Amino acid sequence: MMRTIEVLLVIIIILGASMIASFFAVLPSPREVSPLNLRRLAFTTLQVLDLNYSLSRIVFMSPNDPAWNELQIALSACLPPNIIYNLTVYEVQSGNATELYKYMNISISNAESLGIASDAASYLVASSNVTFHVIPEKIGERGVGGTLYVLNCSDARGWWITGYTAQSLAQDLYNLLSPYFKTTVMVQNTTDFGKILNNNTLQGEVVQNAVVINTFGEAIPIPTEYCKQPYSNGNYANYSYFLGQQVRRYNWTWASIVGYPFYYVSNTGNFTGSDDQNTYGIYGMKQVGPAGLNAFLGGLDNQGYTYNNNGITGGPNDDPRLASVSLSSDAIYYCNYYGIYPSRYQTSTRALPSSINTTYHLRVTTYVFNPVGNWIPGAMYRHVFQGASNITGSLFALGLTRTPDIRLTALGLLCDYKPRLYRSEYTAANTSRLVVLQLGLLGGV
Amino acid sequence: MAGSTIDHLISVIVFLGALLVFISLFNQMIQTAILYQRHRYLATKCSDLLDNILLNPGIPADWGKNSTRTLCGFGLQDPEFTQYRLSPFSLMRLLSSSGEKVYYSRTGEWYSNVSWGIGGGYFLLQESECINYSLASKLLGINGTYGFQLAITPTVNVSIVEDKNVASYLRLNITVMGQGSPLAGASVDYLMFWMDSSEPVRNSTRTDSLGFAYLDFNGANGLPRIEVSQNKTAYMFIAKASLGGLHGIGYLSREIVTKAGNIIPFVENYGNGTVGTVLLAHKWGKNDPGPGDSQAALFFNATFYVLPDSFSPIKNVTVEGHVTYGERLDYYPLQIPTSQVGYLVVTYWTGREYGMVVMPWGIGTIGFSVVFGGDPSGQEWVVTDVRQVLVGDIAYQARLALWSLEGYGVVG
Repeated sequence: MMRTIEVLLVIIIILGASMIASFFAVLPSPREVSPLNLRRLAFTTLQVLDLNYSLSRIVFMSPNDPAWNELQIALSACLPPNIIYNLTVYEVQSGNATELYKYMNISISNAESLGIASDAASYLVASSNVTFHVIPEKIGERGVGGTLYVLNCSDARGWWITGYTAQSLAQDLYNLLSPYFKTTVMVQNTTDFGKILNNNTLQGEVVQNAVVINTFGEAIPIPTEYCKQPYSNGNYANYSYFLGQQVRRYNWTWASIVGYPFYYVSNTGNFTGSDDQNTYGIYGMKQVGPAGLNAFLGGLDNQGYTYNNNGITGGPNDDPRLASVSLSSDAIYYCNYYGIYPSRYQTSTRALPSSINTTYHLRVTTYVFNPVGNWIPGAMYRHVFQGASNITGSLFALGLTRTPDIRLTALGLLCDYKPRLYRSEYTAANTSRLVVLQLGLLGGV
Repeated sequence: MAGSTIDHLISVIVFLGALLVFISLFNQMIQTAILYQRHRYLATKCSDLLDNILLNPGIPADWGKNSTRTLCGFGLQDPEFTQYRLSPFSLMRLLSSSGEKVYYSRTGEWYSNVSWGIGGGYFLLQESECINYSLASKLLGINGTYGFQLAITPTVNVSIVEDKNVASYLRLNITVMGQGSPLAGASVDYLMFWMDSSEPVRNSTRTDSLGFAYLDFNGANGLPRIEVSQNKTAYMFIAKASLGGLHGIGYLSREIVTKAGNIIPFVENYGNGTVGTVLLAHKWGKNDPGPGDSQAALFFNATFYVLPDSFSPIKNVTVEGHVTYGERLDYYPLQIPTSQVGYLVVTYWTGREYGMVVMPWGIGTIGFSVVFGGDPSGQEWVVTDVRQVLVGDIAYQARLALWSLEGYGVVG
């Protein structure tokens, strides 16, 4: 008898455990098991209603306007019959207000309540009467310089700009960068280029402290007056040396968009001989070789001219990591700031060695790409004489492989100069309103 | 001694019985909880998969317009837009699971049946040009684990019917219905392609509180007088309803079967992304002439209209010709550019009998629906999710039904 009583006690204990477990194991309601994604449905509904800015227009109308009835009919028509909704409009207030969103007393709904479970999506609309502006700060407005020269010489040919012409690249650069400079000048031929090399203005701009972008890739335009001795010495390496001197003299920033800088010189009016080609069949140019960059850097550092044709750049053969170099964190930040989004990963076959910093008294002020070991795939080099503090000429070099992405050049220059963007205030009174659409399911539990 | 043994035996039996009952109770509770979890997971998967399909254009992005390129990533977003706007061309290439496939003996090919003569509208695409369910499943990474059915249907249903009570002229009754209610007070722009008019008649009207409107083509109020008795004329009517940012479209084409048959447009291919080929085929197989029917030539005039956002169609390609029931002239190949959406309007006649059919070029131009994927009927548990999308500027709903193919074995 005792055993039976004990078993009954055990049964009571297990029954108690079962009841307690059932009490705590609360299962979701059937509606929650496989619910509609009401948030996405609400968001897409608002998007559909804002086709051709219809919703944006209605939201800024008076609450008595018949357009609100139309919106309610449209809302009812595009949602399934078992969906209940509530659409509410809020005014976005200026930053000084204590609350950012103020209830506008505009609300349309097809039910008194949204049931036990609902979800909502919000949609920011702007008034059609307001135009939002982004005004960039002009480089040179608060200091010296402010001139951008884009080499667009019609009598020169490029190399390693495969798929583009220098002229198309120049136009793209003009579109990208001219809003950020006080003056942008397209240098239309080598004669004009010769003028600015001699401190003559083309359109009344300031030559000093300018930025010069060479859109010809590995080639550089050479004016006819420099197609002779002594500039032709060392396969025209001496001309690159001269350019280095002028860059230092005028405190220019010379931008090389791709490949090995100063590797060729080009002038289609002067280099007309049967051998005047870059060994790949592009006529109107001569190959300078690695001596061009060495001579330029020597000229920039005011060293004496020597002919040195030893290559100094590196590629994946020197360090396999150069096969995929990545944008620096600074560059990524400024991608978002300026709205320029090139691919984060590039291949560098002409990275410059970090040793040039000491050899030619250069300081890197901006890394566009993260350095790889002793190699720098893309950076802004500022020349500062030993013991001095002022900058005397700069080189911006992207040692990437062809084909060039011109947005990287624009991004690199903007990363270094950092012109500010003045955006109009989105929270200014009566410019923006927030529409919140809340959805619930009708019926069931 | 015997009493204590019996007591022991009874207690053991009672204990074991109770234990079995409790184990089954607990087991049932745990099983229910696991099922809830799995169904919940399926719902999340459904929502993710639907966004995945609707928010990427696929690889290559122009696969909807170019049948020479191999599809490596499945997506339906319009590559020229962002958010939930779908490519009207990609939708055309989905192998329809709503209509029975059509076999055309003259080409020896099967055709995907999006619409076979519904309201005089046809869309039949050669099967080899279509993206099938199996390929889409593989590209979405759910082959063998989940089944799905994707339905893209217009949010606003614009229904147009002839009023048979009015015999002396053509009266069209237009009903504009949304998902949950009629579209009251909607503006209705319409186009009437009438064979006696070289240009379509364009005008507008408004629906009443029940979403209803009618048009009398009786020669008054700027509308032509159209009499359709004895098939002596033909027309194709398109109406676009708009209200509060919501747009819907509907059509009615007066398709009749003449004594010499009628014409069916079959889409043969999309070529290399610049032009597609359409066969204007003498209706065949399903509508062979019977005894006493004429086997005379069937003449046609086919015009492809490009449809810009302004709802003002622009003539792009016009051809005239004839087909016969015989072996030689049973279809006429026509090329249509794939750069823009529009529709092909085909007028055909023999003797004094006239008919018209229409074929959209880009789903959405006349409000066709597309159903793609497997059959959810008979599945143990099917979850659905829905998004509002745009095809062109027409509001559609994309509804995805998803079910597990691995039964209870599917775990997160």
